[in-house]
Amino acid sequence: MTDLLAWLIPALPLCTAVLTQVVRRTATADRISVGGSLLTAAAAAALCARALLESARPITGSWYLVNGATGVFIAVIAAVGLMSAFAAPVYLAHSGRSFFRAQRSRAWFYLAFHLFWAAVLALPLSNNLAVSWLLVESTTAASALLVGFTGRRSALEAGWKYLVLTTCGLAIAMLGILILYVGVAPHGAGLHALDWQHIHTHAASLKTSSATLAVILIAVGFAAKIGWAPVHNWLPDAHSEAPPPVSALLSAALLPTVILIVWRTVQAVAPALSGELGQTLFLGFGLASLAVSVPFLWRPLPWKRLLAYSSLEHMGVIALGIGFGSPLAIAGVILHLAGHALAKALGFYAAVPLQRHQAESAAEPASGLMQKSHGVAIAAGLSLGALSGLPPSPLFFSELLIFLGGLQSGHLVVTALAATLVACGFLGLMHAAIEALAGESEHEHRWQRGRSVRLAERCAVAVGAGLLLLSAVAFLLPTWSVTGAMAGHL
Amino acid sequence: MNPAVIWILLICALGAVVVRRRSVAIVLTGLQSLVLGAQALSQLEGRTDLAVAAILLIVKGLALPVLLLAVMRRTREPLPIRSDRHPVTRLACVLVPVLAVTLLTPELALSSRGVQDGGIALLTLGIAIAAVRRGAIFQVLGFLIAENGLYLIALGSSGGLPALIELGLGCDLILVVAVAAAFGVRIHRELGTADTTLLSDLRD
Repeated sequence: MTDLLAWLIPALPLCTAVLTQVVRRTATADRISVGGSLLTAAAAAALCARALLESARPITGSWYLVNGATGVFIAVIAAVGLMSAFAAPVYLAHSGRSFFRAQRSRAWFYLAFHLFWAAVLALPLSNNLAVSWLLVESTTAASALLVGFTGRRSALEAGWKYLVLTTCGLAIAMLGILILYVGVAPHGAGLHALDWQHIHTHAASLKTSSATLAVILIAVGFAAKIGWAPVHNWLPDAHSEAPPPVSALLSAALLPTVILIVWRTVQAVAPALSGELGQTLFLGFGLASLAVSVPFLWRPLPWKRLLAYSSLEHMGVIALGIGFGSPLAIAGVILHLAGHALAKALGFYAAVPLQRHQAESAAEPASGLMQKSHGVAIAAGLSLGALSGLPPSPLFFSELLIFLGGLQSGHLVVTALAATLVACGFLGLMHAAIEALAGESEHEHRWQRGRSVRLAERCAVAVGAGLLLLSAVAFLLPTWSVTGAMAGHL
Repeated sequence: MNPAVIWILLICALGAVVVRRRSVAIVLTGLQSLVLGAQALSQLEGRTDLAVAAILLIVKGLALPVLLLAVMRRTREPLPIRSDRHPVTRLACVLVPVLAVTLLTPELALSSRGVQDGGIALLTLGIAIAAVRRGAIFQVLGFLIAENGLYLIALGSSGGLPALIELGLGCDLILVVAVAAAFGVRIHRELGTADTTLLSDLRD
């Protein structure tokens, strides 16, 4: 059963991508996309349930690894992907000009979208470092097309920057993987030499200098894909220029999933590393990302650009939680992954009516949404409130857990610095939320309650319920078996 | 591995740093892949991974230059893209980080230190080319050169890379280059040139 589900999860979006190419009517393509996404999400939910219920006994197959971490990440990616699949037809109905010819632009969108989703879904399942690298690289090609989808000059700039920077970063990561392979190959060459368990078993025989260099190269290379500061330059541009359903998938699913690959690598190589190199790398990237992002959260930025800098902040918080490594911090990381995914995705879906009714929103900060549409205002307010960590947002509890975990692991200075930066970020985002909802606006006409507004309203209801549920179960996470398993070995 | 092979690979990459004409840089990069492919063939001795690497490198050396030359024909520049820096200055800017990274990298247990230095130098050169050259095609050539550096290191390691990974690496690269080529054409259509430094609207 697990074997079948592990194959189905990436295969279903691939089939959906192919099917959307053979139909001519746009409505049929929309239905195929949504139907395929529902099937994918159902398969993901089944695997996720199995992974989380049997987290004490990880299941390995020909190419996959199903454990607690796999379950958590698959759940997040599937939920965001499904919501994005529902949002895509609404966005495409008014998307205007495109990178592609008008007749084929919807087909290209669905092809790239489902290929991208398939690769991201396969990532947490992959039991092999090199295969994970290939999957990350394959997300670049598909998502770069999606980032540049509108074909506007700014979108081309964002897509090009994303392509160049992440490809260069991944070349560096591949050098690290090669170095690791040279070290572990004497214990058994071939593809399985780079399986996580194989690396971990033979890590002690690696030279410390080689292992250190390999881990640094892999972390720095993948950091370019995660968008951790200081190699984050593509992130604000790509997130702000991509179509909103794609921005949601990029920010809420892809970035944290690439963090999982770095996390697994560090854990696998840990026996060969001196001191706390892995932890130091995570803490360094975490603090740098927070320090770089927070000043931008105080600036009057266009809506999606603000959300992009918020992604940088939250990837920093997740890195800090992993760096602290204590069970409390890992519980915080799990909660943060899920809470951030829901809140950030909602923020991007709220951008669909914003872009539809107010074209200037691409260049100007959002303001006065309450006067234009209560539904969109509630979605935007809920998203920013949750992202800022305003109680009872699950991100408030997750940040609390991460900082308590930092104190538990003895990182007093780092915790104090991070808490100060997060507090500054909270104030910046709250200021932006007040401006977005109640600020003065030149365009004061009310928006029609069309498809895009209804999309934001429905997403707000679903995400609001999800966020409350996460907050309600937050206190259970520190003692959850999955948390213990993730704090031990991924 | 014969040091002359490594020098040929490096000279091809350095050529891509200094030459002005895109066609010359494309041919040099294609030649680099073909030389690496020939090297993989010479080391074959019945190994599957090397056979896959040789086929991929030869395909890469032939197919990708054809694709890039086709893109070049569709994106004729009204005027040559003038670099801010003289070719010698550009060469110096690139050589400093390349030498620093190559010399600072510790021993990686490859077949020879020369292979390691050559591979690391090619990887760094590729990334530097993507950073300093203004034309979209030159930046794509940077990816190809960086990847050739990785192949050189793989050829110099006793185990080689697993054949499946080499195949995946090749397919991924072809996909990325195809997407980059599509972007190159679109950027040229939008700006009237493929000079990517003109894409600088997104600033905070």
